Amino acid sequence: MNKQLSPLWTHLTSENRVTGTWRSALPNYQNQPSPCLGACPVNGRIAEWIKQVKDGDLRDAWVTLTDNNPFPAIAGRICHHPCETACNRRDLDETVGICSLERFAGDTALAEGWSFPPPVTERPQSIAIIGGGPAGLSAAYQLRRRGFKVSLYEAKDALGGLMRYGIPSYRLERSVLDGEIDRIVAMGIDLHLGAEVMNQAALATLQETHDAVLLATGASLPKRLPALDYARSWVIDSAEFLAAPVEEQRSRTGAQVVVIGGGSAAMDVARSARRLGSEVTVLALEPQDRLPAQKTEVDEAIEEGIVFVCGAMMQSAETNDNGATLRCVRVDFDPGDVPGTFTVSPIEGSGFEINAATIIPAIGQDADLERWSGLAPAGPVLGTDSVWQTDTPGVFAVGDVASMNRFVTQAVGMGKEAALAIADMLSPGIAAPAPAAAAEVEYSRINVAYQDTHARIQQQVTGLDERLTGFEEVQLPLSVEEAAAEARRCFSCGTCIYCDNCFFYCPDMAISRTASGYEVNVDYCKGCGLCVAECPTGSIHMQEDTAS
Amino acid sequence: MEKISYSDEGQFCSGHVACAGCVEALSMRVILNAVGPDTVGVVAPSCSAVILGGHPMSAAKIPVLHGTLESAAASASGIKRALLAQGRDDTTVLCLAGDGGTYDIGLQALSSAAERNEDILYICFDNEGYMNTGGQKSSSTPLNAATGSTPLGKVTRKKNLIEILAAHRIPYIATTSPSHLSDMAAKIEKAKAIRGTKVIIVLIPCLPGWGVADNAAVKTARLGVESGVFPLFEIEDGVRYTMTVDQKNQPIDAYLAEQKRYRHLSDDARNKLQAEVDETWARLTAMVDNCPL
Ligand SMILES: Cc1cc2nc3c(=O)[nH]c(=O)nc-3n(C[C@H](O)[C@H](O)[C@H](O)COP(=O)(O)OP(=O)(O)OC[C@H]3O[C@@H](n4cnc5c(N)ncnc54)[C@H](O)[C@@H]3O)c2cc1C
Ligand SMILES: Cc1ncc(C[n+]2csc(CCOP(=O)(O)OP(=O)(O)O)c2C)c(N)n1
Ligand code: SF4
Ligand code: SF4
Ligand code: SF4
Ligand SMILES: [Mg+2]
Repeated sequence: MNKQLSPLWTHLTSENRVTGTWRSALPNYQNQPSPCLGACPVNGRIAEWIKQVKDGDLRDAWVTLTDNNPFPAIAGRICHHPCETACNRRDLDETVGICSLERFAGDTALAEGWSFPPPVTERPQSIAIIGGGPAGLSAAYQLRRRGFKVSLYEAKDALGGLMRYGIPSYRLERSVLDGEIDRIVAMGIDLHLGAEVMNQAALATLQETHDAVLLATGASLPKRLPALDYARSWVIDSAEFLAAPVEEQRSRTGAQVVVIGGGSAAMDVARSARRLGSEVTVLALEPQDRLPAQKTEVDEAIEEGIVFVCGAMMQSAETNDNGATLRCVRVDFDPGDVPGTFTVSPIEGSGFEINAATIIPAIGQDADLERWSGLAPAGPVLGTDSVWQTDTPGVFAVGDVASMNRFVTQAVGMGKEAALAIADMLSPGIAAPAPAAAAEVEYSRINVAYQDTHARIQQQVTGLDERLTGFEEVQLPLSVEEAAAEARRCFSCGTCIYCDNCFFYCPDMAISRTASGYEVNVDYCKGCGLCVAECPTGSIHMQEDTAS
Repeated sequence: MEKISYSDEGQFCSGHVACAGCVEALSMRVILNAVGPDTVGVVAPSCSAVILGGHPMSAAKIPVLHGTLESAAASASGIKRALLAQGRDDTTVLCLAGDGGTYDIGLQALSSAAERNEDILYICFDNEGYMNTGGQKSSSTPLNAATGSTPLGKVTRKKNLIEILAAHRIPYIATTSPSHLSDMAAKIEKAKAIRGTKVIIVLIPCLPGWGVADNAAVKTARLGVESGVFPLFEIEDGVRYTMTVDQKNQPIDAYLAEQKRYRHLSDDARNKLQAEVDETWARLTAMVDNCPL
């Protein structure tokens, strides 16, 4: 070395002293997964795209988002957002509004007309996908962008599955649904609408003409209440009700509607009926704080004047002059250890009656397994292995038909995983291997002194009067300013934001900037850990260093 | 978050012998780069002298005179006058000293320089004790803090040097902290442009002296600012007070908890300390509110 100062001051610089030998630990730069990523059903790189929103790079944010999920505008509206439940910011004040930001990026893409690029390489193999709901469409997208030929068979006349025939437009605007689906179709999908795949034999034909087949047929069979006679004119099944056009819904619902069930579907039925002008009562087994529906759905339903009778059960229903009389009883609800294993016990002497012009049961859907007689079931769904392959090689199954994790983004995530497995099977090595599982960044690793302090920005909602007279969306979008401000609340857990804190806080000038990030000079780093402590994002950690 | 805004021009060199994690070295980095190459340094015996020196090596790219503990400000004054005689009016004379060399042993020389309004930039690295000699108390050591010479805690309060300096009506006095590097650089740059005596006091949580973890001195300093123990402000011409980081948002407890020198503080002692901080803060904010424009 021998770095010389000016000859006048006959000194050497201290750079001739190697203080790195003092060290027992060395900082290591390593981006690590954020807890929101781990919780996200599509493994969306949330910290990364929110940073892009923060920086105003919305196109990049959308590209990052759609790497894992072609439906950000949809998911931003109706995802059950386990990511937000896991968000580290919870420990500081309130979680980041990830969904509202995802919607913002997705809506921007639709408004700007951004589309997916055509595949770089066309591949000869073709895959048949049965079912055009979120699971099937997600798989179609992931396979098509990798250059495979995709034939999509959908029984209905339009794509979307329950996103179109279940979720009402006041939660998911149809132009948004159409926009995000059309973008996938435009990639060049061989589309067969009104093409129900009838049975195992039809499936076998598809197996012969394609290199792989993916079943994404959902759960189409309504569960039935034994105590209810579904042949009565005053009973409508919820799936049928929600799938019907508004005019038909209006003509079939009376002035007093009783919805049976406490899940999301029940809320959708109740709130749709309320919008048609009916008085609506929800009858649910669970106590009100244990309803399976999301809390905002219940809160908004209550705002809209829906009456909840919770912790109660219908025992019978009989025709009266205006419809039916429901004989009900209060119940003790025991949730059980495993979700879905609840038990109820009627409370003696607690009987009561409710009158209804229309009863709409919404207690869940079963998968139609009989149709696929050649595939082995596993309980109430089709049996699959870790990459969603059924017991028949080359036949995969995802979404509601293969899992009890019944959410749109779960279906999207499964569709992606199966698509990657199929791609890898047909063209080994093309699907990038999943990154090695690394520990998630904990809240304690975030230096909150550098974080924005303002409270979560809540989405505005449409006024009650408007909500009760139409099917306009309830949740309103964030403005550009609000989105930027909300994005700034994200800690970017485990994702370096190139803030230079580590560079500036090193008392030993041992960190230098490089083209791709930062580098530690082992000659001078004393291993103090200040760079790690002052990193706002938890992107560096100290590693034992016995070499020096 | 705002990015730290100053540019490191390499004026302070790696390989110095400050403790691992020392924020006096960190502050020196900001100060030497903010003041720039056209500077002559004077350093009093203190940690800063150790960090800068070690013959035949120097951690600073500027020439530095190692003076005596009593007379750093006087040496700086003489150097400035010699530079003026050479026509080098714009060369900054930067004087670096500890709290012992400022509050105690060098106070007479500093007071005289201030009274003459010598054109020097004087930095006091306030680690609240005689630290390079093993951690004895100084008049800057706060109430109840344990040092090598006050093992049961100091019985008197910290000397209010800032008010003494303000009484000299010098053009610029400021406090700054290694938790606020942009603020530190900005104050150095501002002081550099002013002619006359400028004094900047930097809070330096000393790792061995205060019993702070190697990676925690910045955090400790930040808590010192946020709890109002060490407010960041400026005084112009001895009378115009301005808060630069206007935040006192928490009690002193988190600040104390980072430091072993406050271990075993009784509730009563803690409350006395809190009362002193509150009183000093109230007095300071009154000065800010009532200051002439
Ligand atoms: C009322 C309601 C509200 C919901 N709300 C939400 C919500 O807010 N958020 C959320 O995350 N989840 C919600 N869910 C759950 C979510 O909609 C489903 O989990 C998800 O749609 C499952 O996706 P899928 O692709 O597996 O099935 P589906 O969406 O059911 O799609 C299956 C598709 O396959 C087609 N198909 C079926 N059989 C055949 C065949 N033999 N041949 C050809 N085509 C066939 C169907 O027509 C359909 O289009 C809701 C469900 C309901 C019922
Ligand atoms: C007159 C005199 N007395 C004692 C000393 C020994 N001495 C050298 S540095 C020092 C401590 C200075 O303390 P401070 O100024 O607070 O600097 P720190 O070491 O804390 O950085 C002492 C006592 C001296 N150099 N001169
Ligand atoms: S703060 Fe941001 S990166 Fe961290 S968990 Fe929350 S959303 Fe994810
Ligand atoms: S701050 Fe500097 S010396 Fe301390 S651990 Fe980081 S790189 Fe090493
Ligand atoms: S301190 Fe800033 S620049 Fe350094 S690793 Fe952390 S986020 Fe990246
Ligand atoms: Mg000292």
